[in-house]
Amino acid sequence: MDAVEKANAERQKQWAKDQKVGEGTYAVVYRGREASTGRKVAIKKIKVGQFKDGLDMSAIREVKYLRELKHQNIIELLDVFSSKTNLNLVLEFLDSDLEMIIKDRALVFLPADIKSWMAMTFRGLEFCHRNWILHRDLKPNNLLIASDGQLKIADFGLAREFGDPGYKMTCQVITRWYRPPELLFGSRYYSSAVDIWSVGCIFAELMLRTPYLAGESDMDQLKTIFRALGTPTEQDWPGHTKLPDYVPIGQFPKTPLRDLFTAASADTLNLLSQCLVYEPRKRIAAKDALSHSYFFAHPYPSHPSKLPKCAAQLTAALPLEELDGNTLSGKTNRLKRKLTSPPDETKTRSAVARRLDFTKPTPGS
Amino acid sequence: MATSNKTLTPLYEASTQFKNWRHSSEDLAKIRSSLNSAAVAVIRQTLEAYEPGSSLAVSFLTPDEELLLVRLYISKISQLCGFFRFPEEVEATAVSYLKRFYLKNTVMDWHPKNVMLTALFLATKTTNNPISLEAYTDNIPKTAPSDVLELEFLVAQSLGFEFAVWHAHRALWGIWLDLQTVPTAPPDRALLESEKYDAAHRHLRNSRLSDAELIYTPSQIALASLSLASPELAAEWAEFKFPLGSPSLSRLQSIVASIKTLIQSSSQPVDVEAVRAVDLRLKLCKNPEKVVGSKAYLAKKAEEERKAEEKRNRKATDVQQAIAEGDLFGDELTRGLAVDDDDDDD
Repeated sequence: MDAVEKANAERQKQWAKDQKVGEGTYAVVYRGREASTGRKVAIKKIKVGQFKDGLDMSAIREVKYLRELKHQNIIELLDVFSSKTNLNLVLEFLDSDLEMIIKDRALVFLPADIKSWMAMTFRGLEFCHRNWILHRDLKPNNLLIASDGQLKIADFGLAREFGDPGYKMTCQVITRWYRPPELLFGSRYYSSAVDIWSVGCIFAELMLRTPYLAGESDMDQLKTIFRALGTPTEQDWPGHTKLPDYVPIGQFPKTPLRDLFTAASADTLNLLSQCLVYEPRKRIAAKDALSHSYFFAHPYPSHPSKLPKCAAQLTAALPLEELDGNTLSGKTNRLKRKLTSPPDETKTRSAVARRLDFTKPTPGS
Repeated sequence: MATSNKTLTPLYEASTQFKNWRHSSEDLAKIRSSLNSAAVAVIRQTLEAYEPGSSLAVSFLTPDEELLLVRLYISKISQLCGFFRFPEEVEATAVSYLKRFYLKNTVMDWHPKNVMLTALFLATKTTNNPISLEAYTDNIPKTAPSDVLELEFLVAQSLGFEFAVWHAHRALWGIWLDLQTVPTAPPDRALLESEKYDAAHRHLRNSRLSDAELIYTPSQIALASLSLASPELAAEWAEFKFPLGSPSLSRLQSIVASIKTLIQSSSQPVDVEAVRAVDLRLKLCKNPEKVVGSKAYLAKKAEEERKAEEKRNRKATDVQQAIAEGDLFGDELTRGLAVDDDDDDD
């Protein structure tokens, strides 16, 4: 065996796969652990054999960027190895995501909690942008939550570099509800401002507990945006009518954010509105957002360990013997290119969870 | 915030390139000679195993001869990129991949022709300039899609899956932009002195044939290329960045001087005849286990197949046993059995 293949085999041996936690058309995600320490990990196995062009672009992007980006608020890629025709990404194990938390009706969010999640999102994003990387798919289910409460940006399958003027980029990125108007109008030259719009939508969603701008089609998305924020004028957003896919959508009046976000502080609404500025060049940068007065005003951000957690997250910390019955069934197939175990299998066991003491950190988590 | 108190690491210093792909020239020589002698030992043994005495007549390649062959294929990357009209980033990335590959492998195991084609194809994808494999191989004589695909994992593994590369041509562009805004800049410098930038860029392209990028930083190589084209401009930029007489300036000057030598010595065109002779000898001394159809190759395949068969049998026995014990869905985990790694067909 070649030295390179040998090294690959050695790496493979360091990681053990336990149960399958999700399966999609192009990847299978396993819960696993580091053989030497027992540390929990997620192993994303990408089936490469099926692609006629070899390693596919989203796997390549994910590996390329995560190999370079090391930050507390970005998911850590621990290792990469191949097995036969599969590519395996070993990622840090994260037990839930912001979407699950938002949807969990049992949880109550304090303004300080939202501030904490926003601070962590902006920190991770500022690091991406400082490294000239656009994420291009920010949404609550790509913001994963570690057992200590830290938020981590994940899924770099659509990420790319930016900053080279004159390079065309595709406008078919970012999940529709989080997609900024310049992309909906077909802009092929854009910047880090596209990610900021998504963060603005997530910010609003954390307060509303439901997606803020949920359009039913790309066309309807623009209408939904304009209905919420008013149709932009030439003064608001110079030149937008010249964008490739511009169509007049209709005239909607501007309504103050205050009408919808009745309980939010002035600082909160100020930062939110700066994320949702139509003119991309005037939208706030991640770096400036971090020094926005919102983050320095009372109430201060909650400590990550004190943030609300899903029941699923609590049970995930349990040793397996504590769980009854068939926890290993492969029924949980709702993998949306994500890395965490779906909540379904464990949610029903929250009754068990509550009786146990979770204050002690579990070994290896 | 806790993070803002720390001094920020320069972006480049956080890169995998900075951490894993910089060597001294002595280091490079050592890596190459140990790869070379390890390969020779293995191939000699394989040859002897199939035909005792047959390795005595074989003249193996030296590390320098291997390097010569790699250099020829680096120059082929430029030609192909010109043909496909790939952006410079693709070309530069593919060149880096090919060089990095041969810091982990030898040409006696893997001929640079197919490695080069795979490195280039991979580079189109990692730089976000993908084309279909068919469109790629259809335009390259005597090349099938499988020639590229078969090596893709090996190339990616050899690169440590570190696909991001920092390029000197970007640094040169940055220096050129700086030079247009320094206080000493004459008006219209971009227009009036553009041929100096072009000349620097030609030197920079030549630097790709050398080991410069494995030893120096992109901006050092860029400055050296500029210095070859116009020592005055290079000095103007350096003096703008560093106070006169500062130790870092004199250190920089000596680095630039060594890179200039390196670039100049690699700008002579590759001697095609010499390479052809090396390539002819390579046909006789390459690893027979990697020559499709050879006895050694067939034997290796048979051995691999035997191991796979053994594994399948073991798996079947395990399942049988589990059924017999009636715990098909039972305590698999508590027994510490991991999920099988090779369930490709699920």
